[in-house]
Amino acid sequence: MKRKTVFWAGLFSVLFLLAAGLALLHGGGTRAVISVDGREYRTVDLDAVTEPYEFTVQTEWGWNTVRVEPGAIGVAAADCPNQDCVEQGSISDGLVPVVCLPHRLVIEIEG
Amino acid sequence: MSKTRKLVFMALLTAIELTVWVIEGQIPAPIPVPGVKLGLASVVTLTAMALLGRKEAGCILLARVLLSALFAGSVSALLYSLTGGVVSWCVMAALLGLFPEKLLWVVSVFGAIGHNAGQLAAAVAVTGTPGLLWYGPALLAAAILTGAFTGLGSMYLVRALGRYRK
Repeated sequence: MKRKTVFWAGLFSVLFLLAAGLALLHGGGTRAVISVDGREYRTVDLDAVTEPYEFTVQTEWGWNTVRVEPGAIGVAAADCPNQDCVEQGSISDGLVPVVCLPHRLVIEIEG
Repeated sequence: MSKTRKLVFMALLTAIELTVWVIEGQIPAPIPVPGVKLGLASVVTLTAMALLGRKEAGCILLARVLLSALFAGSVSALLYSLTGGVVSWCVMAALLGLFPEKLLWVVSVFGAIGHNAGQLAAAVAVTGTPGLLWYGPALLAAAILTGAFTGLGSMYLVRALGRYRK
């Protein structure tokens, strides 16, 4: 009986260390949320990105081409008058969102 | 135990489980991973399963899950707690007979792993983001810790409540 307790405790300890290590290594998922006019438009899991790609968000005020790279996201081009969103470059953490005020587009990273 | 006594006992356990669940919800989560919680309510479920039986524990669990949706006032959370609860009930019901009472905590750990796996699967299905699976290792680690803790809790509770055994 005692040996069985030790066996299970040991097995779960090893499993726990493995899982915790994997979780820490990965550092939790980083998810980018693109919203237009306050409504969620699309979410991108930045950790799952292996190849950079772009897609265009068409809003009723104009378009923004969003560039997604492994762990980072930003606006590559837009037809907005001030080009603030393009000049901001890409973000990789949740500190500051990318904002295109004229198009009411916000890109935020959470997690 | 007479039918009436059993019914009253089950109702009491349901009330206890719901209370424990509500109180635990008021405690801020120490780890910023969504879905990680101690799961104290499962102490009652496993205790009921060991004392009264699988079916009775299932009834108590279902009643608690449905009532908790009323108390929390969120229907979307109901889906997650229902999936987690059902999966963990299935796992624990299957394993209960295979382990002696001294290893009840092992059943609880597997139940907790099942609970978190079920919730994760539900979250992936609902949001359509397979990237959520990256939470898997963190949830697994959490399940082992919390499952062992709540399992030990029900082990001692079963021992203390032995005279209410069916």
